[in-house]
Amino acid sequence: MTTELLSYSLIPLLSALAIPFLGRKNRKITEILANVTLLAGLANLAYMIFHPMNRNSGYAVFSFDGLTMSMLFTIYLVAICCVFFASVSGMVKSEKNSFYPLVMISVSAMSSMVLAKDFFTLYIFMEALAVTSFALIASEEGTLGIEGAIKYLLLTFPASALIIIGISLMLLAGGSLRFDIMSQSFSTAHFAALAFITLGFAIKAGLFPFHFWTPDAYQGAPAAVSAYLAGVVTKISGMYALVKICMAVRLFGENAHAISSSLLLAGVITLVFASIAALTQKDMKRMLAFSSISQMGYIAAGAATLNPIGILGAILHIFNHATFKTVLFLNSASIEKSVGTTDMRKMGGLEKNMPFTSWTSIIALFSTAGVPPLSGFWSKLLIIISLWITGFKFAAVVALIFSIVTLAYFMTMQKKVFFGKPKEELKEAKEASPSMLAPAVLMSLIIVFSGIFFPYVFDFLEKTL
Amino acid sequence: MDPVSLLKAVVFLPLIGAFIIPLTALISKEVRNAFSVTLGILTFACAVLLIPAAAVGAPVSFEINFPLGLNFAINADSLAVFMAAVSSFVSMIILIYSVDYISHYENQTEYYSMVVLFLGSMMGLVFSKNLIWLYGFWELTGFASWRLVGFFRSDKDVAKANKTILVTVFGALVMFLGIIMVYFEKGTLDMAQLKSSEISFLAASLILAGIFSKSATLPFSTWLPDAGVAPSTVTSLLHAAVLVKIGVYAYARLFGTVFVAPQSFSYMVTALAGLSAIISAGAALIETDIKRIIAYSTVSQLAFIFLGLASGNQSAFAGALLYIMMHSVAKGGLFLCAGIIEQKTHTKDIMKMGGLYKTMPVTGLSFALCSLSVMGIPPFGGFFSKFMVFKGAVESGNILILFLFAIGAVMTLLYLSRLFYLVFLGEYKGNSAAPEEGSPSMVASVSFLALCGIILGFLVSYPFNYAVLISKQLGVNLQ
Repeated sequence: MTTELLSYSLIPLLSALAIPFLGRKNRKITEILANVTLLAGLANLAYMIFHPMNRNSGYAVFSFDGLTMSMLFTIYLVAICCVFFASVSGMVKSEKNSFYPLVMISVSAMSSMVLAKDFFTLYIFMEALAVTSFALIASEEGTLGIEGAIKYLLLTFPASALIIIGISLMLLAGGSLRFDIMSQSFSTAHFAALAFITLGFAIKAGLFPFHFWTPDAYQGAPAAVSAYLAGVVTKISGMYALVKICMAVRLFGENAHAISSSLLLAGVITLVFASIAALTQKDMKRMLAFSSISQMGYIAAGAATLNPIGILGAILHIFNHATFKTVLFLNSASIEKSVGTTDMRKMGGLEKNMPFTSWTSIIALFSTAGVPPLSGFWSKLLIIISLWITGFKFAAVVALIFSIVTLAYFMTMQKKVFFGKPKEELKEAKEASPSMLAPAVLMSLIIVFSGIFFPYVFDFLEKTL
Repeated sequence: MDPVSLLKAVVFLPLIGAFIIPLTALISKEVRNAFSVTLGILTFACAVLLIPAAAVGAPVSFEINFPLGLNFAINADSLAVFMAAVSSFVSMIILIYSVDYISHYENQTEYYSMVVLFLGSMMGLVFSKNLIWLYGFWELTGFASWRLVGFFRSDKDVAKANKTILVTVFGALVMFLGIIMVYFEKGTLDMAQLKSSEISFLAASLILAGIFSKSATLPFSTWLPDAGVAPSTVTSLLHAAVLVKIGVYAYARLFGTVFVAPQSFSYMVTALAGLSAIISAGAALIETDIKRIIAYSTVSQLAFIFLGLASGNQSAFAGALLYIMMHSVAKGGLFLCAGIIEQKTHTKDIMKMGGLYKTMPVTGLSFALCSLSVMGIPPFGGFFSKFMVFKGAVESGNILILFLFAIGAVMTLLYLSRLFYLVFLGEYKGNSAAPEEGSPSMVASVSFLALCGIILGFLVSYPFNYAVLISKQLGVNLQ
């Protein structure tokens, strides 16, 4: 593991231990502690990334790459937004004091995953993450939450089994789990191991046909948890590992290309299937869940091209997805709070009463659909360019054309929820409080500015990857 | 101001101003309206002041370097300045007219922001030198049209707004595919470097799909009449100043001054345009909704512009540019007249109107003058442009397609006469008392546009010479 950054995984862990003790008397303290821990981490990371001295030297003083850095930044950013939202909205029942420690543990686990340099370390923390996610999904007392949690359990543990089988095969074949060492003597056993591991992570990432736990889980969980799960958890536990594998496969050369090609195929099928499924959804959170699945398809396809542009696009898309999906899920939570439902058929014309929620959603959805100049456009563009130049022209065309389906289901959502005449019974709907809006507004600003100044973002990542 | 700062002003003033409008609304309504109108006037002024520099062919450009050849580059050449001047002129008039027209409705702040954003993205689009930014501004206009078409917020309005954005964005994505193909074939998206390069039939057709979806040419024509559910100022803006003109501008820019498309491609474009001209004229003849008739008329008139642009001949190309100008002025006037009529009679059905000339003489006269210009009756501006297009097309054209267009021109005469007759002549068929004339600033705007149609006819030599200059300076593959 990269020891320099270890504090990012240790401090949330310590904080998770401290919260139940300190919060026994006063629940406020748990909230404050969770927020402060994450905010401090984020500020620290931002300082390291944006400090001109570090930037000018091309981050030569650190031994890690820009990927680690940007992933850590994403984790902390989404975590602080969700935790802050949860604490100000009061929508998460924290009587049991379980929500904040769970989030802290999962932040710690994700940071450790990102810092891991071999599959075994990655695996250990991934398991820790899976357990916390399971508990988080099940934290809502409703059948849907339990159903989602059970589905998650049934899929994720076989996936873990596949991964551990893959890892043992690797150890048997070469005695090492370091990617760079493995690449020197690549054998059939390595290939089989890699195939098992890829399959395992594809299940965890919710790629088609292993996607069916995600809609239930996201719909069932409290919205702040859905935002957190959709924004980072499934991305880190599944997609990040897949991107890492793709980077490793690049090292292995021709021999391992069958794996990446099948991943690419799975990615394209996922994005097609999930976008179409999203068109028919009636529930806002469920539609967002399908949208999230289809975006996973884009990321997988981009990473599986094994082209530097594609991998860069995939990483950027993980980041962008984290920003826009967090906005959308948090907004769905604000709506749920003021309207009392997430069923889109019961909404209409909410823009008049909730202008900020509406406009941040518009920014996020246009970014998802890949409309320039928002950030989502650029990452999608990189993915499509990479598909095209690596010869998967048909996949590139499909990926491009399905942007219109993405736009179509979001337009339907916008029509049903915000745009349009206010319904009589919703005249009383109130805009969320400023502090509840703050995370969504912050994320929207990030979407807009990282889109307009995209070349500088690109420059940063290109320099460090 | 020097030309480069004028260029920056004409693009960034409305683009940034659009986001300041909501802030000015916090002060007061009057400040907001004045600010929006000022933005429109300043944009027009900057565009006009750029004409001298562009006419002599002086390079006026501004560039920010970005990696991967995605530079943000804006460049003022004669064609861009011409288009900018035309569309900012009409937008300016529409903004002035809006102050009265829109004052009865809700969501005015959003309306002003979106109109100005529309204008700004149009300016960005015409001045873009890099295809990727042209595409970026293209999508921004789609966004603004979505908000504006859905302005009245009823279920039907929003459905039509969604249709508008989905059709145009779909076209734009197909076009973007074409742009990506060009990028990988030529390795650049800078139009100056791409100048006179050959383009394959497939890539050209993909780009054409985007253009046709924006200009509402067959087979993408249905969204434009549907978008008539929007306020009349918005439809006027879409038809005359910005949205559909983007399509013809992009065609003129890409296939007139940058790429050399195969001969069969131009032939396909004129054939599709010919069909579009006749079919939409037929639709205009049977419709009874005043705004839909004028909308179909736009679809049909745009086909004439495509004929001129695709004929591959200098006088037709210059004629088509002239046509863009004349059509903008006349069509803008027609829609604003329709706006007055709709507001006063509370209906869009021409069967319930009639005899309005007695009570609304100025509107009626303006409507007649604008119609005459669209029909192409001398000495109105519309005559010269139509004449030039036909003359050029005859020189290099196909008789069958010309025949289609001749029928289209006759039908234009028919449906506009029918419209004028049913609305303004005869007896009033409405239930209530005959409606009154519109408010002074609204009537002044339409009569000003109608007068412009005549003045442009008498002074046609200036814009004509300028259009010829454009085709000489920038045209590629023109005879």
